[in-house]
Amino acid sequence: MFKELDPILHSQLRLAVMSLLIGIKEAEFTFIKEKTNATAGNLSVQIQKLKDAGYVDVKKQFKDNYPLTTCSITKKGVEAFEKYVKALQGYLHTDTN
Amino acid sequence: MGKQTTLSEKESLALITSMIQKAKASNHEKGIAAILWGVTIAIASLLSYLQIELNLEFPFDPFLLIIVAIVFQIYISVKESKLNKVTKHEDAAINAVWLTYGISILGLVAYINIVPNVSAQLSKQEGWEFVKHYINNTKPDEILSPFVLSSYSLFILLYAFPTLVTGIAKKFVPMIVGAILAYVFFIISCFTALKFDLLLGALAAIVCWLIPGIILRRKFLKLHKNNV
Repeated sequence: MFKELDPILHSQLRLAVMSLLIGIKEAEFTFIKEKTNATAGNLSVQIQKLKDAGYVDVKKQFKDNYPLTTCSITKKGVEAFEKYVKALQGYLHTDTN
Repeated sequence: MGKQTTLSEKESLALITSMIQKAKASNHEKGIAAILWGVTIAIASLLSYLQIELNLEFPFDPFLLIIVAIVFQIYISVKESKLNKVTKHEDAAINAVWLTYGISILGLVAYINIVPNVSAQLSKQEGWEFVKHYINNTKPDEILSPFVLSSYSLFILLYAFPTLVTGIAKKFVPMIVGAILAYVFFIISCFTALKFDLLLGALAAIVCWLIPGIILRRKFLKLHKNNV
């Protein structure tokens, strides 16, 4: 049923991360963790998958001597997200018909 | 959201909508900066009005209060930048607008202080002076130091600009209304004497920043209370 949907995005946590990042410039890892209620380990793995796909940029730096990881969506990520939403809408439209 | 579960189309869309809402609801404006500037400019303008109206002598120029506000603003900005975990697309643009506004205000202050003196010097070099002439010859002519006429109107005009940009960008109606009122005050101030311009400036500060700031603060505190 979801064969045409992007498998990278069609996962609960990865889709949640992308949906959070789509409307903002960048967000700290702790913010994404807080909003998705995910564990740090699982979130790290899923963000790495999104990064490998070229959908997000991950910046690691230091702020007040503490490591700080910030994530932002890439142009490729925006395009993939838009395509995914269109495909979803297509399925829903088919269902309602 | 610990496990990777398969989603239906409706669940996917619901998840997307909920996350977008969560992102939108993040970083609520605390309203402190708006209240700070609304109070500072309103007080400075009112004190300046009283100075003229009641012939009062203050030991300092009321507009020097702005220096104190700038120090507070820097403190607030540094503190908030440490707490903010999210940067929104419009943040950079709005910050740039307020920075440009600050530079423009400084430029205008410099213009008002420099141009009259330079004009007086240039006129003297050309061999003439500005003179105050009484129409009915009730008093003898006086040498006049040049000054920028109704200069505070220009400040009111500037107050409206970043307020309107912020109001439109953030879709925050109280700031849009405040900016429109400030433009109205600017037009009125073109026809009034300086002391009334100062009163209109105080009103502009109240409608542009103080009232929207209080509304933002109430919203923020309400949200904070609900989250606790």
